[in-house]
Amino acid sequence: MANQTATLRSFSRPVPGDELRRPPCEVACPIRTDAQRYIQLVAEGRSAEALAVVRKTNPLPQVIGRICPHPCEDACRRGQVDEPIAICNLKRVASDGAKAAELGFKPPKAAFTTGKKVVIIGSGPSGLAAAHDLALMGVQPVVFEKQPEAGGFLRSGILSYRLPKNILDEDIDYIRGMGVEIKTGVRVGEDVDFSDLAQEFDAVLIAVGLSESRSLPVPGAGLPQVLLAVPYLEAVNAGRPVPELGKEIIVIGGGNVAIDVARSARRLTGGKVTMVCLEADYEMPAHSWEIEDATAEGIGIICSQGPNAIIGEDRVEGLQVKKCESVFDGQGRFAPKFCETELSLISGDTVIIAIGQMSNLAFLPDTGPDINERGILIFDREQCTTTRRGVFAGGEVVTGPGAAVNALASGKRAAIAIAHYLGVAVDFPEEPVAIGEVPAAVAEKVKPAPRRKMPARPAGGRLQDFNEVELGLTEVEARCEASRCLLCTAGARYSQLKCIACLTCVRVCPYGAPWADKDGLGGISPERCQACGICFTQCPAKAIDLTLLSENDIEREIGVALANESGDVEFGCWYSQSRVEPEAGLVLLPCTGRLSAGLILNAFEQGAGKVYVAVCSESEDGHFIHGHRQARAAVAEAQKAIEEAGLGPESIEVRLEPELKCKKI
Amino acid sequence: MITAERKEFDEIRQMTDPHENVLVAGCNTCVAVCLTGGEKEAEQLAQQLRIARNHDGIKGKVEAVTVLRQCENEYLDSISEQVERADIVLSTACSIGPQGLVFRYPAKRVAPAMNTNMMGYVKEHHVWTEYCAACGSCLIAATGGICPVARCAKTLLNGPCGGSQNGRCEISPEVPCAWQEIYDRLAALGDLDTLKRIVGPKKWNLSNSGGPRTMKKEGFEP
Repeated sequence: MANQTATLRSFSRPVPGDELRRPPCEVACPIRTDAQRYIQLVAEGRSAEALAVVRKTNPLPQVIGRICPHPCEDACRRGQVDEPIAICNLKRVASDGAKAAELGFKPPKAAFTTGKKVVIIGSGPSGLAAAHDLALMGVQPVVFEKQPEAGGFLRSGILSYRLPKNILDEDIDYIRGMGVEIKTGVRVGEDVDFSDLAQEFDAVLIAVGLSESRSLPVPGAGLPQVLLAVPYLEAVNAGRPVPELGKEIIVIGGGNVAIDVARSARRLTGGKVTMVCLEADYEMPAHSWEIEDATAEGIGIICSQGPNAIIGEDRVEGLQVKKCESVFDGQGRFAPKFCETELSLISGDTVIIAIGQMSNLAFLPDTGPDINERGILIFDREQCTTTRRGVFAGGEVVTGPGAAVNALASGKRAAIAIAHYLGVAVDFPEEPVAIGEVPAAVAEKVKPAPRRKMPARPAGGRLQDFNEVELGLTEVEARCEASRCLLCTAGARYSQLKCIACLTCVRVCPYGAPWADKDGLGGISPERCQACGICFTQCPAKAIDLTLLSENDIEREIGVALANESGDVEFGCWYSQSRVEPEAGLVLLPCTGRLSAGLILNAFEQGAGKVYVAVCSESEDGHFIHGHRQARAAVAEAQKAIEEAGLGPESIEVRLEPELKCKKI
Repeated sequence: MITAERKEFDEIRQMTDPHENVLVAGCNTCVAVCLTGGEKEAEQLAQQLRIARNHDGIKGKVEAVTVLRQCENEYLDSISEQVERADIVLSTACSIGPQGLVFRYPAKRVAPAMNTNMMGYVKEHHVWTEYCAACGSCLIAATGGICPVARCAKTLLNGPCGGSQNGRCEISPEVPCAWQEIYDRLAALGDLDTLKRIVGPKKWNLSNSGGPRTMKKEGFEP
């Protein structure tokens, strides 16, 4: 601990409402997943509870844990220290772990029912999300799906090496288990009439997604070996043969769907697969990791070329391309410019066009909802309404193409709009505000720890089948990865009312998070706080508690731990992943440096026979600066107190963490 | 601020063991800032007492409550319910606290958990140094801003004495000689002439030697 008095800082006070700000991962997530909370639970090895946190906002946790492009990771503040937390992979760990423990898969039922019924057209992510949320709000959803099985593009568009069908089935079965009826193989507009549905139900949600591929107006597009991405993927996903596929396949497009088309074609044929796209390599719309995977599987990518003509008389012989000089105009709009004279030929016997998708709204009647001159549904983005009363829309049909998690968000918003329309007392949630970046001076003090890589099957082996490529993190690796989390906003919670302006926190914090001005007004910067807990243990006025594992929480955990047969308690460290006394009941803390002497005494008050405290070696800081010193100080103080109280000094024991199961975080 | 240190636990036991229900009363001002008698410490002392009394089979409840300042009526009044429940109130404030409790709750037994020691300055975290003896007539303008009443072991007004050795006081090598400090500071300021003036006899009647003092601030009275 700093043996000096502190300098009052003159930097400007953090904006008011610090305590309301949230981790950037959560703010970046379209469905506002409390990622940090589930990551903490994974760090503690509590997968089922972690899954419960995911499920609070995410109706398809297993699916999203595999295919999400994870905008949360781009926002993750750990990325400002070394690399972001593998948030998406940890979501998968939560559901995999819970499933292995046979927990967390019992669908909930709404606490009440409104008696209202909503029809949802489309069982893709937006339709399923709306159905899930409406069911929880006491509204009965009935989902219509034109395909023989539910899931929309998740089933027909995403291949099982990325998203195994049984995983999708499990997530959908969970939603069915909540009382959501899904009628498959029913085409609205053919098998049932839209207006009849609108009459029969209290509200309608159009969530039909983008189910049709766009084609290309180039010569030769009508040849039999020219396929469109959506029907091709539907066939592959349904296990139907695609006889048109040759041995030299050209995929037109540079997005994620094009990558899926290419990777599946490579698996099906074992032949040469080449992607051709307008964009330069750095502009490609596909995610970088998708491009890496495709390249690893031997798929060629030709950038900055536009299709000019498909060559061949009655069979495809190749694709003539022209140089694409730029894709976007000054305003960033799609406006490709070509060099019409710079032509070249890519040989091939099959062309698959994966340049984008559109919706099919032919089922809508003339009486509305209305469609604009470009064939797009007229839609109020805020209220999720269409031009026809009681008819709402959500998902890619109105948002355009994007990630599944965005479709979930859109469906969830539509569910709130519909429930509100039907008289349920709900409102759109407030938009959270994120805390700022990690100051450089703090980033330097964070113990470095590499991001745990997702194990994957080698490219050679995975090309032989459509089995899942990513294998999932092991439990130990997952816990280590989760422990890298900087615990944004989960640290010190400060009460200005209780604060006596004694400056203790300002003096003891290793990260310079607490601040005070000349009037004794103060606070704790959430950007600087690392949630080590030292200020909490030292505050003489109890004006500081911790958001994650507050004093009350720890006291409760002690009670739970004491239900253990031994009657002893171990205060353990989640960064070490090891036990110092396996027989004792465990209270797992992010560093035992957040133990106050009072908490140790509390264990004795609750009847502990003996207390063990796991502490790291004196020679080196563990995860937190001074954590082990604070733990030792608390133990010494408690030891003195219990000796004075007449209990034997052997009642408390400090034990060094034994050899760690994985490298210390 | 006023600093106070907790008494030995045995002494606290002797004062409280004969009584069934104990209220540990914390004070969240000076003794909290000096990390010995605020809310945290009061609660921890109550915990310790509960463990000890439970171990020895002593009946009764030990609870803790903390007010912002035990030296004010209104704060003491705010804990009347807890005080009423207790057979003895153990104060972790400076000695003003328990005496205030006695004044406010004449029928209640009160005991001090602390030894009040001084008015100190926080030279560094966890370290307090006596800077003021509350003598009632401050003379530090004549001594370079350094108080010989509080900081010279002999309270010399015209020092140093022969016990000043290499800047240290003869009572302990840990203790700096206040008069050496006064000399060094005046020399640094170029004000050594100040020392040519003899400080005359001090009005000790203004200090505690004149009997207990009362201060009254003139002004608005409701």
